[in-house]
Amino acid sequence: MRRLVMALAVLAGLVIAAASLAATSSPKAEELEVWVGWSAGHELVEFKKVVSEYDAKNKNVDIKVVGGIVDDKIFAALRSGNVPDVVSSFQSNNVGIFCPSGGWIDLGSYLKRDKINVNIFPAASRYYTQYKGTRCALPLLADTFGFYYNKALFKRAGLTRPPKTFAELSAYAKKLTVKKSDGSLDVVGYNPNALFYHGGAGISTYGTLIGATYFDKNGKSNLSRDAWSRLLRWQKSLIDYYGYDKLVRWQTGAGDEFSASHAFERGKLAMMLDGEWRVAFLKNEHPELKYGTAPMPVDPAHKSAYGSGYVNGTIIGIPKGADHEEEAWKLVKYLTTNDHALAKFSNGIRNVPSTRSSSKSPELIPDKNFSTFLKIFTHPKSATIPITPIGLDHLQTFSNFVAKWNAGDVDDLRAGLQEVDKTIDSKIKQKG
Amino acid sequence: MASEPVAAAPALAPAAAALGRGRARSRAAWRRRLTILAFLSPWLVGFTIFFGYPLVMTAYLSFTSYDLLSPPRWIGLDNYRYLLSEDVDVWPAVRNTLWIIAIGVPLQVLFAFGVAAMLTRARAGVGFFRTIFYLPALVPPVAATLGFVYILNPSTGPINTVLDRLGIQGPLWFNDPAWAKPSLVLLGMWGIGATMIIFLAALLDVPQHLYESAELDGASALQRLRWVTVPLVSPVLLFAVVLGVIQGLQYFTQAYVAANVAAGAASQAGGSSVLEQGYPEGSTLFYPILLYYHGFRYFSMGYASAMAVLLLAVAFTFTAIVIRQSRRWVHYQGAVR
Amino acid sequence: MRRRRFLIAVADHALLIALAVAFLLPVVFIVLTSLMTNDQALSSNLWPAPFRWSNYTDVFSSSPLWRWAMNSFIYASLATIGLLLSSIPIAYAFSRLRWRGRDAVFLVVLIALMLPPQVTVVPLYVMWAKLGLVGTLWPLIIPNWLGDAFAIFLLRQFFLTIPEEYLDAARVDGCGELRILTTVVLRMAKPAIAAVALFSVLYTWNDFFLPLLYVSENPDNWVTSIGLAQFRNLHQVQWNLTMAATVLVMLPVIVVFFLAQKAFVEGVTLTGVKG
Repeated sequence: MRRLVMALAVLAGLVIAAASLAATSSPKAEELEVWVGWSAGHELVEFKKVVSEYDAKNKNVDIKVVGGIVDDKIFAALRSGNVPDVVSSFQSNNVGIFCPSGGWIDLGSYLKRDKINVNIFPAASRYYTQYKGTRCALPLLADTFGFYYNKALFKRAGLTRPPKTFAELSAYAKKLTVKKSDGSLDVVGYNPNALFYHGGAGISTYGTLIGATYFDKNGKSNLSRDAWSRLLRWQKSLIDYYGYDKLVRWQTGAGDEFSASHAFERGKLAMMLDGEWRVAFLKNEHPELKYGTAPMPVDPAHKSAYGSGYVNGTIIGIPKGADHEEEAWKLVKYLTTNDHALAKFSNGIRNVPSTRSSSKSPELIPDKNFSTFLKIFTHPKSATIPITPIGLDHLQTFSNFVAKWNAGDVDDLRAGLQEVDKTIDSKIKQKG
Repeated sequence: MASEPVAAAPALAPAAAALGRGRARSRAAWRRRLTILAFLSPWLVGFTIFFGYPLVMTAYLSFTSYDLLSPPRWIGLDNYRYLLSEDVDVWPAVRNTLWIIAIGVPLQVLFAFGVAAMLTRARAGVGFFRTIFYLPALVPPVAATLGFVYILNPSTGPINTVLDRLGIQGPLWFNDPAWAKPSLVLLGMWGIGATMIIFLAALLDVPQHLYESAELDGASALQRLRWVTVPLVSPVLLFAVVLGVIQGLQYFTQAYVAANVAAGAASQAGGSSVLEQGYPEGSTLFYPILLYYHGFRYFSMGYASAMAVLLLAVAFTFTAIVIRQSRRWVHYQGAVR
Repeated sequence: MRRRRFLIAVADHALLIALAVAFLLPVVFIVLTSLMTNDQALSSNLWPAPFRWSNYTDVFSSSPLWRWAMNSFIYASLATIGLLLSSIPIAYAFSRLRWRGRDAVFLVVLIALMLPPQVTVVPLYVMWAKLGLVGTLWPLIIPNWLGDAFAIFLLRQFFLTIPEEYLDAARVDGCGELRILTTVVLRMAKPAIAAVALFSVLYTWNDFFLPLLYVSENPDNWVTSIGLAQFRNLHQVQWNLTMAATVLVMLPVIVVFFLAQKAFVEGVTLTGVKG
């Protein structure tokens, strides 16, 4: 009897397992599976709206959207061969790995066949969707970084216009900072710690503001010879004004970056450098906040860079081994080149439309704060980060150093940056 | 299953009888061997597939450059050269892992031992206390880590709030490079319940009369501890230390989760936002985590394999040394070795 | 003299109570936070006001906690069943059957125990990927059906303590080794087997690294440990809900512990003292 019960238990277990396995096995025949990175609140919803419009017009496909995809998952899928039909990523730098390996297929022949001229995409977006001539991705909306400031706090401090240089920014920040009775920070004027918030893009968000490059003409890392030291010294001076420990303490209570408790949204951060998506977040979560936008202040020695910003964007492509390549391409083409689709999506998540024509589309809902970013996106000095064979590892190395510098654990800035350059060069050499 | 009756041979010549006996015995021996093989077969298959094969493959991959999308490219000793001479990320990671072993393990073992020792002296409510001390060990490591990061949040967490009310400014815990690893050790100490119970059982196993005769001989409490308790508990001490070191060499989950959550970077676990490795300032970057990054974030599977081979060499060497040395100071109370 | 002993006893108990409070404190804070509103959780308030019991239902409506629990249950139960079915005969072969090289081979089993999983992870991942099983629970479950080094070790130590006379008596009766195993040994080794089963359930329920590797790309198959770590993502860090989910994930294990306390303690003891 006991043996029978045991056997039944085993059988039951196996049945459950088989059922679960069946449930996760292959999708239906006509289904197009689309993987995107959007997940927070409204963003995924908006993407699905754009897709369902296409779905309704194209009865022969049935589109399933999976959100919250991060690059780890994309790589895992590519390795296992268990790929969706369309894949999209926030990490455009990974084209350095996707394109040469063929993980995302070369779209060149499709573009030629359908007579699409890639110049409809601005230069920066053209750059981060290809690697060494192979174009395996197209831009799907773009991101650019600009300056947000709290108008109510400005008024209270007697400030009338946004700052234009780092020096002004520091002065404003000190005026706007409010401390609690025990000396800890309550409202921070501006947090120069690039590793906190900043959309996870870290120190690279400051690149254009100092006219910086990352690599020299010979492809060697350039951080120690470029304007980065000036930037880091300025950031450190402001951090020291607050006191590093006090700033960290404030950061731990500042609220998650993609939640409604974001410090700027709650009025605890008076000014910040952030991406254009924040406009939509503010509208959804804190419509009562009185804020303004402007281009980010620049290095006083690079005044001509004013108006520019760091650019990056979502990339979209077709993975190797996708089941329905032709239909997938049709969808990708629609999403990336159709003015209406781009305008609709841009309105929804307030990202910058990635083609010249769509950025002028009459369908775009005018918004004073958002239009700042449209201008930044098309500024000639706006740029993105270089794509390397080591992916983001060079930025990682740099960021590790910046973390130590911010904390005051670096004595010789120049020597430290030279070490970073040396490390990056050896990593690239190692990758071969 | 019974062997053929050897007794059926009496009519035959002695040689034939011996042959018959021999054949029967070898048939029985064969059957025995088959049984043993059958019993061991899952392990043989499992060992080959999940131990032998991966070890061989890892060793092979360590000599290649492999991004998992294109086929592996042979590069000889280059990974090892880079690992041992040029990689600036590795040695801090090695130091972190050594730290957690050299400091975390003794602290946890001593703490478990101390708590168990105290429990042996308690009269009332031993079962109650035992349950309370064991409970945290049952909490899933991820949940426990999340809980601790929340509790030790420097500005809004309960611990610092209480300290503040007492007039002490609490440290930055998981956000301070000097406190991040100690915070992880605190988390580890909170979960020593299982080790503590083992020590408790071992301590209770020490024959009372040994203590009594030592006391009669005039031994102080400390001397009794040194000469009676410790030797008799030494097998368990060894076990706890070896287990602790092995776990230290594999230490991943708590550090990975704590770093991501404290940095506020975990808006999407597994995403590659470029923040700090081993937040804060590399203090929580342990060797297995760096291995994971290389293999599954930077797509240098070959390099990750080289790191793995190094880890295996260390683990094996350590275990061999400890086992060898243990024969000298571990005393087995009549148990079969 | 009696007074001194009494005072020492009080001091001992006071220390124990202080320690118990320290051990319980994190749990108390976690539970308290799970009952706060999100804003309160972000502030330095220590006591929820009001008590939001609805957080616990919110967790279910806002995340697939049931699904995660189901997946953890499938993983834990299938892995444990397989582990027992395979490890018991193996442990028996290493302890009660005599064959050449037995102890040397056992040392090899022990080496597998000491191996950090990160060492074997890379090629195994590639192998499972080629088999198309990445994203499912099978890479986690199947290895347990081929024996587990820890279980083999523990069971072997226990089997070694069974007096040979019982086995010899059965052999004389004409029992084959399989029958001896299933009738004599299993009955005598119940505590050890229960302990091994409990450890396996505990380990698989809490496992994070292997599911992270194999299952994280397929949210349908997430287990509770991954779900919990990712919970912040889905909920943009609502700490109160995250803590509520943490409590819920802890509950099944605590319940199992209370029900099986005796077997647990005995099992844990067996590991150490005989180990």
